[in-house]
Amino acid sequence: MTTQTKPPPPSSSTLNLSMRRFTPAEFLALAEVGILASSDRVELLDGVIIEMAPIGDRHAGTVDIYTEILPSGVDQGTLLRVQGPLALDEHSRLYPDLMLLRRRADYYRSRPPVPEDVLLLIEVSDSSVDYYRNEKLPRYARVGIPEVWLTILPERVIEVHTEPAGGRYTQLRTFRPGDTVSPACFPDIALSVSEILPG
Amino acid sequence: MTSQTKPTPQSSSVLNLPVRRFTVVEYYAMAEAGILTEDDRVELLDGVIVEMAPVGSRHLGCVNCYNRELSAAVGRRAIVQVQSPVRLDDNTEPQPDVALLREKVDGYSSGHPGPGDVLLLIEVADSSLGYDRNEKLPRYARAGIPEVWLTVLPEGVVEAHTEPTEDGYRVTRRFRAGDVLRPGCFEDIEIPVAAILPVRL
Repeated sequence: MTTQTKPPPPSSSTLNLSMRRFTPAEFLALAEVGILASSDRVELLDGVIIEMAPIGDRHAGTVDIYTEILPSGVDQGTLLRVQGPLALDEHSRLYPDLMLLRRRADYYRSRPPVPEDVLLLIEVSDSSVDYYRNEKLPRYARVGIPEVWLTILPERVIEVHTEPAGGRYTQLRTFRPGDTVSPACFPDIALSVSEILPG
Repeated sequence: MTSQTKPTPQSSSVLNLPVRRFTVVEYYAMAEAGILTEDDRVELLDGVIVEMAPVGSRHLGCVNCYNRELSAAVGRRAIVQVQSPVRLDDNTEPQPDVALLREKVDGYSSGHPGPGDVLLLIEVADSSLGYDRNEKLPRYARAGIPEVWLTVLPEGVVEAHTEPTEDGYRVTRRFRAGDVLRPGCFEDIEIPVAAILPVRL
């Protein structure tokens, strides 16, 4: 009898099974007891722990540009959260690239932001645009996040998704270098797309 | 800037995404930390924690009959393990319905049985037939489990799978009521199919 065998390669068919899902509390406990390490770039989506793509240089730099240009024009009533948690619903804990949040005196130290706290959510997508488009956007719409900017680096565009209704965003506007883009929550602020996506 | 009316997004499943897989060590750490509890009927398959279907009466009865027949037949020559884990590798630890294990004085309290300890595995499939056939059987073959009896309750058939390869079992024989099952590991053992698949009342 053979006892020495290679571990089977990961099989995608495994994923069609009834997977044990985790609550946000269990997800946090996995990190607390060290099963999920800080080297794990993961988020919780519908109770499933998803591995996020590593952040490339172009992605990281674009997030830096946003952090530099966004707060400068934004008033005292907001907080800018970068790659921090969002308690999307009772089964999910996501880490959007940037969120403009209603300001709270405790900086959300006592509880994570919930959708009602989010004024604007920005995602930067280098290679995984389908993930954002098919998985995250519908979920953001379902919980009523008012505005999502999907920054698609390979195409050098910013898609502005607004007016969530019926589990999807009903309005899409696309901005390219040369355009200026303004958050609905701060219409007076005009950001230069060329500055965000220098190419 | 361009504007457009958006198409309805395609229906999608979170299960198509790259899920974080766990090792057996992490799996047990979850139990130790109380994240997985006794209430979780789960097994680990390629690092994915899979929930097992509840055991119906027909399934349970068949497992009990196997246990009775096998225990009586093997005596102290082997251990009959019921619905407990077998560690196939660092990422896979299923809980087959019945495992006939090499005799070990400590009953495997010093470590979970591995593929080399298994003489025969038995799965009883009711609604879980697709899962047992498509997910578990190929993994048993890759791990070199010498013999698996897949008991298909709806058909009243026991499939005996032998001669494991990387690509599955090379030999499958089908047994029905009236036939007799003979495990390859003990030539003297004969289990009538009728003893483990009693006629339904």
